[in-house]
Amino acid sequence: MASAYNPIYTDVPEKDVFALHFLQTLSNLRTQNSFSSPDNKTSDRVKKIKKAAYVSMARAAGATNRLWSRSLLHQAAKRNNKNVRFLRRKRRVTWLMRRRSNRGDPIEDVAAERLRNLVPGGGGMETSKLMEETAHYIKCLSMQVKVMQCLVDGLSPK
Amino acid sequence: MDNELFMNTELPPPSEMAMHFEQPSSSSAMLNWGLMDPNLARNSPPQDCFMWEKSTEQQQSIFDSALSSLVSSPTPSNSNFSGGGGDGFIIRELIGKLGNIGNTSGDIYGAPMNGNVSRSASCYATPMSSPPPMMNRTAPLTEFSGDPGFAERAAKFSCFGSRSFNGRTNSGIPVNNGKIVNSGKLTRVSSTPALKALASPEFASAARPMIPAGDSPPKLPGEFSRKRKSVSKGKSKDNPLPAASPSPSFSKTAERKEVSEEKGGKRRREDEGEEEEGNKGGNDTKPPEPPKDYIHVRARRGQATDSHSLAERVRREKIGERMKLLQDLVPGCNKVTGKALMLDEIINYVQSLQRQVEFLSMKLSSVNDTRLEFNVDALVSKDAMISSSGSRVHESGLQLESLSHHNYNNNSQLNTNVSSNNMMLHSPMKSLEPSALARGFTHLPTLTQFTDTISQYQMFSEEDLQSIVGMGVAHNPNHESQSQNMKIEL
Repeated sequence: MASAYNPIYTDVPEKDVFALHFLQTLSNLRTQNSFSSPDNKTSDRVKKIKKAAYVSMARAAGATNRLWSRSLLHQAAKRNNKNVRFLRRKRRVTWLMRRRSNRGDPIEDVAAERLRNLVPGGGGMETSKLMEETAHYIKCLSMQVKVMQCLVDGLSPK
Repeated sequence: MDNELFMNTELPPPSEMAMHFEQPSSSSAMLNWGLMDPNLARNSPPQDCFMWEKSTEQQQSIFDSALSSLVSSPTPSNSNFSGGGGDGFIIRELIGKLGNIGNTSGDIYGAPMNGNVSRSASCYATPMSSPPPMMNRTAPLTEFSGDPGFAERAAKFSCFGSRSFNGRTNSGIPVNNGKIVNSGKLTRVSSTPALKALASPEFASAARPMIPAGDSPPKLPGEFSRKRKSVSKGKSKDNPLPAASPSPSFSKTAERKEVSEEKGGKRRREDEGEEEEGNKGGNDTKPPEPPKDYIHVRARRGQATDSHSLAERVRREKIGERMKLLQDLVPGCNKVTGKALMLDEIINYVQSLQRQVEFLSMKLSSVNDTRLEFNVDALVSKDAMISSSGSRVHESGLQLESLSHHNYNNNSQLNTNVSSNNMMLHSPMKSLEPSALARGFTHLPTLTQFTDTISQYQMFSEEDLQSIVGMGVAHNPNHESQSQNMKIEL
């Protein structure tokens, strides 16, 4: 971000891409019958919307380029009992976990663990890779938050 | 093979060695080399190579004592240094002891010690062989390198096959606090790994004249041969790292760290050191890294050349790099320093973002159930045009088309905003809307108050909006046809 030459690529597409994906996902939700039924619990709807937000964010950010987005989509697909497409990642994850066990700096490991729990797909990453993913994840999250904020503002009753 | 390597080594005149040798003896912290061996045998606990990083005082004391003993022992014979034979013997002893110290792996002293420190022949083989047994792998006495003269001398002794040559040197004389201080200066050390361990800042400059004198310690001695067998892991880590990142911190005396990792970590070729030494005269910049398949890491001054420590350092540098990146991302993190605090900040920020998403989704859900209905096809058809900025307008336009009369009222409000780009957006929309509605678009799900979301498009670049407007106006008839098509798709 600050440097012109950043070997760590954390570019994130513009807001409109996020907006488009999010709106698409939301519209898909709309078409679902369960969503518009009044007896639907609010929490379920909220969860669905939240999931839609994350999934759309993962897609907008370049689904397969980033580990966290892949993991997100993977989890979402699993929940829907869809086919798992990223099998290749599992093997790499285990290898990474084996490698990761060798690294140990107690001070940063504690925080890194917390970060791993936060960032999707962070379990199999080394700390340096984890930081990259976190940076990209933060960018996408903030973008998504902006989009959602605008949407809410636009749709809220005057 | 190692023997011949060492044979080729030319050592600087012994007189220099004598001079440097005296330095340590005069140093306050006398390193008792004489005590070194017993000390080593007694005190050095079986620590692995990693330990050197956290070298304890104990190790340093061992090293110190060893050095001082070694120094003191030759002292009486210092006067003989000028002699050809006397110094040879002393040097042999030194090397032997040095080798012990510098060798973290412990098996260094196989063949390598055959080097001839002075121009004498392989007299060192014997003394070398003795140290190894005493040497316990711990020898992470890299801290020991405090003795400048000693280190210098060590540098001359290319016969030191000690692999894990920690380039760490205490800036001060003998081990001050055992902490490898990265003074950011790189010392030019001879390729001898063990010697490098002893290299101290002063040593570097002192060694310089000696190094070009001739060490052509080509490949590291025996241990290298041993290492060659085990190496295969030439880590393909980022090789650019050594070239790129450490450069700012390098002083002119870039020290080529030769790290041959027993465990197959990074490994530097001795010839690199040779090149560097060759270029030393005129080239203060980093010499080009030979295209080897190993990870060449440049050791910083005052830092260990142990393979593990190198790996650790590289890893830490990587993490530090990314921490800086994250620092830019997370607002308000400039004041926070230190990895732990930074990480906490980052974690808090990520958590807050996630909470925001959850909160907004809650809000959206409360809003959506009553009002937000999307023109699915409109959105879908816009997929093709998403790349162009105009897509947004089309999308918005189409969505607006499907707005109910409720939105129509809002349009007027929006149209009052003359200065903003929205106005331009609205005009096509406004024109479209009546026609759209007229064509029976009302059956499409309507976005009540979706015109308010036009404001959300303000977040997009204004230039885009302007261009969109132009497109929108020009494509008015297209919009209608498209909407018709979309109607059909429905």
